[in-house]
Amino acid sequence: MAKLDVELTVNGEKYNLKVGSQERLLDTIRKQLKLTGTKEGCSVGECGACTVILDDKAVNSCMVLTAQVDGSQIITVEGLESKGGLHPLQKAFIEKQAIQCGFCTPGMLMSALALIKENPQPSKEEIKTALEGNLCRCTGYQQIIEAVEAAAEEWGV
Amino acid sequence: MKKSPMKLESSQTISGVDFENYFQPGSLKEALEIKAEYGRDITIAAGTTDLFVAYYERLHTIKNWLDLSKIDELKYIKFSEKNVKIGAMTTHLALKESEELKGKFPVLQAAAADVGSPQIRSRGTIGGNIATSSPSGDLLTPLLSYQARFKLETAGKSRWAAAEEFFTGPKQNIMGPKEILTEIEVPLPKNDSSGYWIKIGRRKALVISTLNFSLVLEFNKEKISRAGLAMGSAAPTPVRLKKIEEMLVGKSLDELDHRKLGEEVKKQIAPIDDVRGTKEYREDVAFETMINALEDIESRRG
Ligand SMILES: Cc1cc2nc3c(=O)[nH]c(=O)nc-3n(C[C@H](O)[C@H](O)[C@H](O)COP(=O)(O)OP(=O)(O)OC[C@H]3O[C@@H](n4cnc5c(N)ncnc54)[C@H](O)[C@@H]3O)c2cc1C
Ligand code: FES
Ligand code: FES
Repeated sequence: MAKLDVELTVNGEKYNLKVGSQERLLDTIRKQLKLTGTKEGCSVGECGACTVILDDKAVNSCMVLTAQVDGSQIITVEGLESKGGLHPLQKAFIEKQAIQCGFCTPGMLMSALALIKENPQPSKEEIKTALEGNLCRCTGYQQIIEAVEAAAEEWGV
Repeated sequence: MKKSPMKLESSQTISGVDFENYFQPGSLKEALEIKAEYGRDITIAAGTTDLFVAYYERLHTIKNWLDLSKIDELKYIKFSEKNVKIGAMTTHLALKESEELKGKFPVLQAAAADVGSPQIRSRGTIGGNIATSSPSGDLLTPLLSYQARFKLETAGKSRWAAAEEFFTGPKQNIMGPKEILTEIEVPLPKNDSSGYWIKIGRRKALVISTLNFSLVLEFNKEKISRAGLAMGSAAPTPVRLKKIEEMLVGKSLDELDHRKLGEEVKKQIAPIDDVRGTKEYREDVAFETMINALEDIESRRG
């Protein structure tokens, strides 16, 4: 049986893909594009491990049908690193020790990036709100919030 | 319009059942025609944040999809002198970010800002919130308080339903199999008004509320000329507490007996026991909340 043709731009690169009607954006990213930085935790929108940026907004890729987002621009955690090395957000996460097991980190980074792109100088409250949909079982949110603050302040994004 | 038969692929699916069609119309007219043809055999997909939970690990049982996401004519917030009209595909994020909504319908705007998390707000829609008709749907209580009405369309026909007539049971409503919810219309308060919104849950983000509460009072001079009080998770559907509204109308704030009103609220609701809280807990919370709401409004009006 035929599949749907979908065009996605992921981390600046254009892909023409065929997807099933129930294929989730998370599956497309991990299985078709082999970008395994994006994680699957709860599968039902609760943990944020699967967060990616879809047309400038943070979304849970486990809750999005790829067929629905034909023509969209997507950024995954792999889109952060460039030839110049790690992204300021990534550096800040390392510096502030905001990572332990790392499972939540890609999602945290995406939520933080979506925030800073829209609001380059967020307050602590705004950072907390932006990270509300991302759970971390290890680090404690304090370091994570500090890392986002530091990235916004020191380097700007 | 895309119409393409295909095989299931998702890792959420377990069996090898084939689905039939995925429709992605670009206009409402086409969407209504497809809905008329398929009726209950097609599932509407808006932001899919409720659907993916409801169909966890059985997405494959959805045979036909009607995806409304490409219908731009269903995404708007339009103000006039009389009301605001909101397209069903408007996201919680768009409601949250509307300054005009915040100014004119602060209780509705605050509820949208409290839905789930940023990720949920950027996908979830007002239409999906209403159509799901959960007793805890956050937008439903403000819509009841403001006396909103919903436009239900079928190919060639449309009707309006008052919010308070719409919900008939937990996750049940009066929508027919060929209908699509297209617009939400909320009348502007006639007089100066004050409102109060709160959602009480165990954690701020993500928790579907244990109790949500919205109160809108309109004042004529210092007397309450209209009251809209609604609660969610307090009964099998979100409910408007008309008896209490009647006790408020005609009085000024300092004439109200807060504790008595709180007791009355407790009597009027029929909360459910579930994992998010017991019946007694919800009754006590409803009592406290009513008192806090009146105090808060009083202090803000000085
Ligand atoms: C982690 C998480 C947290 C959440 N937190 C909250 C919360 O705090 N408060 C809250 O209220 N909700 C919450 N929700 C529930 C959900 O996000 C909202 O109810 C949202 O508004 C649903 O909209 P949607 O566009 O995603 O609907 P969908 O999932 O696309 O659709 C929901 C249902 O409505 C039908 N439908 C959708 N649009 C229409 C239409 N226009 N006409 C007819 N039928 C239609 C669909 O067929 C489906 O049956 C949460 C969900 C998750 C996963
Ligand atoms: S895996 Fe998507 S939110 Fe948890
Ligand atoms: S570092 Fe382990 S879940 Fe966040």
